[in-house]
Amino acid sequence: MTKLTVGIVDYGVGNHNSVHHTLNYLGLRCRVSDDHMILKTCDLLLLPGVGAFRPAMQALEGKGLDRFLAEQVARQKPILGICLGMQLLGKSSSENGRTVGLGLIPGDVVPLGIGCWHIGWNTATLLKADPLFELAHNWDFYFNHSYAYQAMDEFVVCTTSFGDKRFASVVRAGKVAGIQFHPEKSQRAGHALLRSVVEGLCDA
Amino acid sequence: MLKKRFVGVITVRNGWVVQSFGYRRYLPIGHPAVVAENLDRWGVDEILVLAIDRSAKGLGPDVELLNALGTLSLSTPVTYGGGIRTVEQASMVVQAGAERVCVDTALHGDPGALREISLHIGSQALVASLPLGMESGEMQWYNHVTKTQRAANGALARIFEDGLISEALVIDWQHEGTRNGFELDLLRRFPVTGVPLIAFGGLSETAQIDEALRMPQLVAVGVGNFLNYAEHSVQRYKERLSTGVLRRPEYQGLTI
Repeated sequence: MTKLTVGIVDYGVGNHNSVHHTLNYLGLRCRVSDDHMILKTCDLLLLPGVGAFRPAMQALEGKGLDRFLAEQVARQKPILGICLGMQLLGKSSSENGRTVGLGLIPGDVVPLGIGCWHIGWNTATLLKADPLFELAHNWDFYFNHSYAYQAMDEFVVCTTSFGDKRFASVVRAGKVAGIQFHPEKSQRAGHALLRSVVEGLCDA
Repeated sequence: MLKKRFVGVITVRNGWVVQSFGYRRYLPIGHPAVVAENLDRWGVDEILVLAIDRSAKGLGPDVELLNALGTLSLSTPVTYGGGIRTVEQASMVVQAGAERVCVDTALHGDPGALREISLHIGSQALVASLPLGMESGEMQWYNHVTKTQRAANGALARIFEDGLISEALVIDWQHEGTRNGFELDLLRRFPVTGVPLIAFGGLSETAQIDEALRMPQLVAVGVGNFLNYAEHSVQRYKERLSTGVLRRPEYQGLTI
């Protein structure tokens, strides 16, 4: 297989270093850019994200990246969102008031509870056969969030339980996928999964 | 189930890892990158870097140190504390690769700055570092810059009332570096309920760590220099601990 190039969508929020280093470590090439022309040449677009939904969405819109990503999906470009990047794939979020998202996978982002943070290592449970994500089943990954994706069942690949709650930890619609946890910070299970997902989405 | 975390703490002074005893005596250990790489390889659940001289010297966060750690491609989440007082500094720390930010001296200062930090990086990324001690049965909160302490009860309640901070790092500063020294009353009698606690300072023996891990409010234990003297010390600790609340020990090189 020729070396795949991952385009890390740089919309000026959060830190890309960890995911960039990890992808390089896995033998994947990376471009970090907000330039549509550069991102178009990449095999997969990765939407990272740390922080709040609204400023992230505003930053994407400010750079015309919301429309660009929708166009790329229509052209069958694989897209992977991580953490806030996953949540941005949804139709909307209620974090600090309602904000419209990219709407690439049906679902809304809602709070886990008042004053409720899900921080640390928790288990992913695979709900349906998906070769890209099957090695996530029953492994622990690192989470750090207080809002979660409420997707329609047909798009939920993995769930995770937290207290009496269960939320979507992996969602997928064709070539677009989102991961709520941080595979780049989840040691060997995270690295193995990231490789499987990037290569699998490009092959799908 | 959300696991409780076994946190490897790296105490840094003048850019070097030190073993710290009671906030006043320090023994040099080595370069932070070496210690961080070991902890990462041993599958610790989180790395907490505390640059303890930054606030007192007015130096701001040690971005050089974070950049050095950034080049290691660590696959473990990193929390950084030391010298953070403003939103710009907190943001710089996140940009430099830390998942979470720990504030200590800033808690004694302007509440507006704290609010701004939390709104910018998110409350899930903000940890309060609290050096605490028991004096005549009362919990005291220590300020390591002014070297003074005050009653913890009311003061701590105010810090957590707005939900701006997601966890409290409870440091037994007087017993730090002392084997089996951690005063469990600091957890039992922590004045604010509902705040997830991380215990650190003198936690070395498994019986005591087990006891701490059984407390519902406790979400993580921090072990510092006690991890530096044996290969795979993190996995060894995890194997000896009897509570089933931690992530299983991880050994690198095993295929999934």
